[in-house]
Amino acid sequence: MKTKILVIEDDNSISELICMNLEAAGYEAFPILDGLEAERFLKALNGNDISLALVDVMLPGKDGFALMEDLQRVSIPVIYLTAKGDVLSKVQGLKSGAEDYIVKPFEVLELLVRIEKVLERTGKSRVAIQIKDVVINLKEHSVTKSGEKISLKPMEFELLVTLASGKNIAFSREELLKRIWGTDYVGETRTVDVHIGQLRKKLGFHDVIRTISKTGYRLEDLE
Amino acid sequence: MKLWQKLSLLTVCVLLLTGIVSGGVVIHGVMIYNQSKTMENYEQQIKSTAFALGRELQSSPFESYQKATKISYLKYLIRRYDASEYILIEDDHVICNETAFHLTDPSDARWGGETVFSVIQQKGSQYILLAGKRIPLGNISTNLKLVLVKDISSLYQNIRSQAFFYVLIYLSMIIVAVVLVFIITGRILKPLRELQRAAQDIQKGNLTRRADVHSKDEMGMMAQAFNKMAQRIENQVTELENESERRRQMMGSLAHELKTPMTSIIGYSDSLLHVNLKETQRTRALNHIYEQCKRLERLSGKLMSLIGMYDNDSICFEELPVQVLFEQAALIEKYNLEQQKIKLVYSCEMGSRKLDKDLMISLLVNLIDNAAKASDVGSTIYLTGKDNVIAVRDEGCGIPEEEIEHVTEAFYMVDKARSRKAGGSGLGLALCSKIAELHGARLLIESRTGEGTTVLIKFAPLGE
Repeated sequence: MKTKILVIEDDNSISELICMNLEAAGYEAFPILDGLEAERFLKALNGNDISLALVDVMLPGKDGFALMEDLQRVSIPVIYLTAKGDVLSKVQGLKSGAEDYIVKPFEVLELLVRIEKVLERTGKSRVAIQIKDVVINLKEHSVTKSGEKISLKPMEFELLVTLASGKNIAFSREELLKRIWGTDYVGETRTVDVHIGQLRKKLGFHDVIRTISKTGYRLEDLE
Repeated sequence: MKLWQKLSLLTVCVLLLTGIVSGGVVIHGVMIYNQSKTMENYEQQIKSTAFALGRELQSSPFESYQKATKISYLKYLIRRYDASEYILIEDDHVICNETAFHLTDPSDARWGGETVFSVIQQKGSQYILLAGKRIPLGNISTNLKLVLVKDISSLYQNIRSQAFFYVLIYLSMIIVAVVLVFIITGRILKPLRELQRAAQDIQKGNLTRRADVHSKDEMGMMAQAFNKMAQRIENQVTELENESERRRQMMGSLAHELKTPMTSIIGYSDSLLHVNLKETQRTRALNHIYEQCKRLERLSGKLMSLIGMYDNDSICFEELPVQVLFEQAALIEKYNLEQQKIKLVYSCEMGSRKLDKDLMISLLVNLIDNAAKASDVGSTIYLTGKDNVIAVRDEGCGIPEEEIEHVTEAFYMVDKARSRKAGGSGLGLALCSKIAELHGARLLIESRTGEGTTVLIKFAPLGE
């Protein structure tokens, strides 16, 4: 089952942009285009299976800050996504109980990383990620391919999880190095290439983990 | 030097100068007068004494007396007339002198005149009046001269003490005058000090400060002028602040307006570059980028024309019948309105006016557009021209009262979501009021929520 994310954003094209990327990364997105509609939707919500809401602040009908109450009642964590970049709005947003605050314009990767962090924090992150016939069990730190267990080194596992949780999105070698080996790691980007090579070999992912020229790597899995 | 010091010093100088001159002249005059009066008195006295002596001598058998007898007789006579004041001279010899003085030259011819000769001699601190005259003796051949000697020092002492007294009074008057001048200048200069303090306060930035001066003299007038000036400065500063606040808000709105399309463009291009998208999604993304760029272009076009309005060269006024404008605007809006099933009814009772055709049509189209956006399907928009007023009336949702004064500000949208969906940028009415302004007209908006809006373009009456 995919993680469900509510996208409350009044601008049609931005809403579609977010949904497009969320779906590519393996989430299921529910776009809502105005505040009152969001309120109605949340009131009618029965049994909560929505993991997160991305909320614009300036919304017609009912603004994002006002929606916080409705969202908290059904305990959906909130990330504000807004053009209001001033400190006061940020403080107001975070104080009202939002998990994060992203200022437009944003980068897709940043958005996804922040979403993932919030999901981890709120305990709503995915238990397992499936890519083709490979299942990554995040709880048990194990990987199976067609039911068979595959043994991976810790760093290879981390790398696989990072690529899989942002599937279809390109990561640069530096980005991967920073996220997996940490900012303190004094290593070469070659390290990443070596680990990628190992993953491809062990999982048969030669076509799945693609090298993107001038950028880095991308785990591709379109349904 | 402070003004009060200058004034005090000036007063002292002027008083001293006038005092010295006038006091000197007066005292001198008094002295001369007293002197001549005294001399006259004594001249009178010697005259009568000489006459009386002459009579006595004539009536006596003086000629027949022996020389010694003559002398003692004369001495006897003199003593009768107070010998302490007179000296009697016969020819060149002093016959009798019982005064305290000694006559140096008894032969002096001046003492022997028919009329009185008088002179004042100064001896140390003493002033002595000498007056001499021949005693009229008729046919007695002896030449007798009488000299009056009188100490008149007291006269001078009087004058000196008077002068001293005068100087004393005068000096005290000067002190009183200086004190008075000091107090009066203090009073007069008080408003000046208040003005100075007010100016300092204003300089420090307290623009609401006014000089608290209510006198009706030049100071009061100056304070009034000063206050008017301060008022004007305050007004202009407030106006400037408002203007810059408006500019700031406009820039803020502009930045915000730019952010939304920017977010889309950056987001979609980022996705296209880094995200593995399906073919249909790629096309959608490209479409979105294209549309958002068009939106930016529209925005920049409107902004350019808004800024261009300040540049009066591009405007060309020509005599145009308003009816023609209505027809053209209606033609442009025809398709748009038919789509929304809105009727446009127009009637024109206005003649020709000097107008810029393109700008006026864009103004009308903008207003009709706005009316259409606010109107429901099937309603009617009325466009009328009558008595220098063009009106666009709709039966739409109206504008809330508190919003009316803001709607002509750039980027102001009453209902943001609805306006954007309808393709608005929030610049339309700002543009309209600018165009109206260029034609010497004013844009007035009358509206009631739920009943509709009327936008009036009020021109100045023809011939003005």
